[in-house]
Amino acid sequence: MVDKSVIAMKNNKQWVEIQYEPLDIQAAFRFLQTAAAGGIDLFVGVTRQWTENQETIRLEYECYPAMALKEMKRLANKACDEWPVERVCLLHRLGVVGVSEASVIVGVATPHRTEAFTACRFLIDTLKKQVPIWKREVFADGTTGWIEGTMLPENE
Amino acid sequence: MPKCWIMQAFCLVVVMNRDANSLEQEVLLFSVLRQRLGKSHITVVIEEGMNGADLLDRLSEQYPALAPYRSMIRLAVNQVYVSEAVPLFQGDEIALITPVSGG
Repeated sequence: MVDKSVIAMKNNKQWVEIQYEPLDIQAAFRFLQTAAAGGIDLFVGVTRQWTENQETIRLEYECYPAMALKEMKRLANKACDEWPVERVCLLHRLGVVGVSEASVIVGVATPHRTEAFTACRFLIDTLKKQVPIWKREVFADGTTGWIEGTMLPENE
Repeated sequence: MPKCWIMQAFCLVVVMNRDANSLEQEVLLFSVLRQRLGKSHITVVIEEGMNGADLLDRLSEQYPALAPYRSMIRLAVNQVYVSEAVPLFQGDEIALITPVSGG
């Protein structure tokens, strides 16, 4: 439904991107590496095969591109305001994501590990509630269903 | 990065019709709403003084497939979540956001 092109914002501190291509964890790690950081936290969200006894064969993601990028930038800025973040990346994949493949990478580099864990947790938790991205689950029995987030986005 | 670039790239620019007093414009749909209604946008007439709640009420009357989602929908105007009390204006980029499920 949307253009296959990538939307991205990258400067020397923040990298936010939404893409159809597989996510590159090595590239994320390289971006996060800086002499000022003593801790790098990388969270990778992947497609889970089993949810209780229901088998998932793939997930399909779509988004509201301009707003999703804007919200992800806002979250990255919020993390930088709140914690001593040296580098932060928020990368999300669209389209088909097979079992065990990565759909999202959240990475944070801070001088000490505590802030990296805290900021990373904040970013993934908030991304899941706020950023207009949706996934549809395709099950082994051929059925599909939109996953509706349990948390409503907050009005801010 | 200029906002206009993003908007052009994804053709999300609101289309308006300046006929007389009726202001027709697009409301963007995604995910389950896009699927239920079978289209990625619907056209609505924004009347003067109309707010988000008025729009959502009207749409759920007009589109029965949308009605069950009425209480879950959050409104985004110009790519920002807003309260339903917010008045709508000509040229706003309006989108209906059902609970998100990224990650």
